[in-house]
This record gives sequence, structure tokens and C-alpha cells, in this order.
Amino acid sequence: MRYVMDALRMNLRAAAQYRKSFLMQCFSQLVMTAGDLWAVLLLMERFGHMGHWEPGQILFFFGIMQITFSFTEIINRGLSTFSSNMIRSGGFDTVLLRPRGLLAQVILSRADPRRIGSILVGAAAASFATAVLGLRWTLPNVLLLLWSMAGTVCLLMGLFLIESIVSIFSVQSIEMVNVLTYGGRQACQYPIDLYPRPIRLLFTFVVPIALCLQAPVSLVLGRPILKASAAAVWLFPLTGFAFFALTGLFWRIGVRHYRSTGS
Amino acid sequence: MKNLKPYRTAFRVHAIQETRYRGAVLGGVVTQGAFGAIMVALYAALIDPADQTLLRETVTYVWLQQILFRVLFHKDSELSDQVMSGNVCYQLLRPVDPHTWWLFRAVAEKVVGVAMRLAPMLAIQLILPDRYRMALMDGPVSLAQFLVSLGIGFLVIAQINLICQAINMITLDSRGVSGMINLVMMVLSGNIIPLTLFPDRLRLLIRYQPFAQSLDAPIRMYLHAMPVREWLLNLGVQLLWLILLWLLSRALWRRNLNRIVIQGG
Repeated sequence: MRYVMDALRMNLRAAAQYRKSFLMQCFSQLVMTAGDLWAVLLLMERFGHMGHWEPGQILFFFGIMQITFSFTEIINRGLSTFSSNMIRSGGFDTVLLRPRGLLAQVILSRADPRRIGSILVGAAAASFATAVLGLRWTLPNVLLLLWSMAGTVCLLMGLFLIESIVSIFSVQSIEMVNVLTYGGRQACQYPIDLYPRPIRLLFTFVVPIALCLQAPVSLVLGRPILKASAAAVWLFPLTGFAFFALTGLFWRIGVRHYRSTGS
Repeated sequence: MKNLKPYRTAFRVHAIQETRYRGAVLGGVVTQGAFGAIMVALYAALIDPADQTLLRETVTYVWLQQILFRVLFHKDSELSDQVMSGNVCYQLLRPVDPHTWWLFRAVAEKVVGVAMRLAPMLAIQLILPDRYRMALMDGPVSLAQFLVSLGIGFLVIAQINLICQAINMITLDSRGVSGMINLVMMVLSGNIIPLTLFPDRLRLLIRYQPFAQSLDAPIRMYLHAMPVREWLLNLGVQLLWLILLWLLSRALWRRNLNRIVIQGG
């Protein structure tokens, strides 16, 4: 645990070194996510109700998805730079020699605190939506949301982990994973029941963002998208954790086949 | 007429270089294809099924944006590499105008980038259900208008890219300011949401801002052949912005090249 705190402190301090640049990039992230938000607002203005969803509810989906995704991006830096930072330059050898968990080391090696700008925009959208919809922040609701966000973060990390595993074996990056992560964010900003069947199935059973995040969120909003009992919805985020555990297994297999490129 | 030969060479060399990135083409097609499909599915769900024209137009707009996606960005890191290593001084010693040199390179990248992705992206259209497929252009006049306008659009984007490069020359940080410009460009050129879907109260503003002169103008011509007067008006706005951006980008380049600090070397 202390290792985690040390790693976090190190990452924060590294970011704070170039303060002006850091703030500039935070602001840049904020602007970019605000741009996404603006796009959603434009669509809502143009179309009013989206399917049977009110604008406030769409905004809430957007906000929660943004917060979750941006948080994942903050802790994901180690994984996403894994191939360039550790494999290609041989830095992974150093990691292998240390008496600590490999995956933990890779994940904790870097962070991307600039994304906090994006989180702020997501939080603003979600807060505004809460006010507009008159949502009540009951303890079960809050816990369910946090639980589902945690599950989704693990799910997304699992996807990024797949990319890292592939990079152990080849220099190619698989675009398919990017489609699932960034495409997933794009698609799942809106409730999944707006989409045609293939996309619904993709994000429910293959990359279960709809299960981990949207089902709980829709329950909180009082308009569940799946015909499942509330208890079942509480179980859905487990799919995210399971996904991460599964990909973690493949990671271990991949590491066993690692051959260093030298350093 | 100044000698264009060195610039044509720059174009050709960079064009050939761009053809080497075959792996990137596949990745690009997969990504743009998937994003296009997601967006098209969303709009199909949102647009009233009775309004078939709007749906078909929006779908076509989205797909054209995805097919032309490569045009928007500039992946040429050579300038920043040169600045960082100090080799930029060799570039500056050459008897060519650096701004024009990089302009030709930028256009080469865009032309070849789009050409390489065209066939696969069109192939995707064939496997889509008819609802999500793009439409053909509105006749030969429409096609001609589209191509002319697109050519100008390429140059407009090239100038925007060059402005970003000028900023990066000095700040050496490609993620900050130019990241924001790129995002603004994505939204305002109609890549995130078709400009035709923007609310009416913003219509004038949106249509005449510089970023709309890149892809939005030609796409609208593709969708509907314009009567001559309207076409000339749109073309005029495009050219006006092209000239303004060209002047701005030249001025920035001159200013920043004078201020550049040669690192190392």
C-alpha cells in the first residue's frame, strides 16, 4: 500500500515540476472535453428528446461516462506508454528485476493528471443534470454509481491491457482495441438502447460497458435499460472486474514469453 | 514565376514517403470506419424516420468526413525534430522558401493519405445495410463543384496545420495550444457533428467561420449541386479565408523563424 502512495506522490510531483505547462495542458483537456459536451448539447437542442430519453438524462450519461473514462486515462498512462516506454527501450527488464508485482509497477509507473480537466467537465455535466432532473443523492445511489464506475474503470483498463500484451509480441498496434475503448466512449456517451442491435450486443456482451456503467446509471435515473432486478444490476459491474482479471491472466502468459530487446 | 521545381520535388518525395505507411492505412480505415458506423447509427436513431432526405444527407456527410479524415491532421514530425536537433539551420540555408516547402509537403501528405484510404473506405459502404450507406453525388456538376472546393479546402487545412507548426516551433510543446486548435478544428469542420445539424440560430456563424471552409463547403456541394451564384459565393468565402490564413501563416512563420533558437548542432 505504501508503494502505491509513494508512486502517486512521485507522479504528482513530476507533473508539478513544469507547472505552467501542466496547467496549460489541464486547460487544454478541459477545452477538449467541453467541446465534446458542446456537441452533446447541440444534438439535444436539435433533436430535443433522444428516443425516449430526456436531455437531462442524456447529460447525466455523458457526465458519468466522461468522469469514468478520464479517470481511467489518468491511471492508464503507464499501460498506454508500456510499448514505447518499456518494451522498445528495454525498460521492462528493470521492472522484471524488482521484487514487486509486475502489473502494479507498470500501472503505477506513470500517471496523467492532466485529465483532471476532463473530469471537471464531466462532473459539471453530471451535477447540472442532477439539478435539472431533481435526482436525489441517496446513499445506495451514490454507492451504486461509485461501484459501477470502479467496474468500468477496470473494464477499460483490461482493454488497454490487451494492447500492452500485444506489444510484447509485435510492434503493430491493434486499432481494434482503440475502436473498443475510444469508440466505446463515443458510443456509450448515449444510452445504448438508441443504437441498432449489433452495437448494442457489442457493448453488452463483448465489451460490457452497457452492463457495468449504463445499467446502474439508468437504474439511478429511474429508467432501467435492461429488464433486470435491482439486485442483478448491482452484480453487473463485476463483469468489469472479471474482464480485468481475465486479461490480467493473459498478461501473465504474455510476460512469460517476453524476450528483451536489450537496453 | 518563381521556380517551382524544388517544391514539386518536396511534394513528390513526401508523397512517396507517405505511401510507405501501409499499416497505418489499415488502422485508419478500421478506426474511421468504426467511428463512422457508430455516428451513423446514432443519427439514424435520432432523425425522424419520415425525414428520409435529412437522414440520407446526414449519413453521407458523416461518411465523407470519415473518408477525408486524414486531411485534417498533420503527422509530419520532421519540422519539430529538426528544430529540436538544430538541423533546421540546414533547412533555412537552402534557397527555398521554408513556408512553401512545408506547404507542398503538407498537401502531398493529405492527397496521398486520402487516396490510399479511398478504396477500403468505399468498400465498407458496400457491406453496409442501405440505411447506413452514403449517397452518390448529385450529378456531374455536383462532382465538379465538390472537387474544386475540396482542393481549396485541402489548402485551407494545410495553412491551419502550418499555423500550428509555427506555434510548435517556438513552444516545442505539441500537446498544448495546437491540441486545442485541433479539437476546435474537428468540431467546427463538421467532423464531430455535421455542420448541417447545428441549430438554425448558429447557421450563419457556423457556415462562414474558417474551419467550415475545409470540408463542410465541398461536402455541401457534393450533397446538392449549387446554382452558379451560390457556388461562386461559397467559393469566394473559401478563397477569402484561404488568403487570410495564408497571410497569417506566412507572417507567423517569418516571425518564428527569425526568433528560433538553434539548439545543439
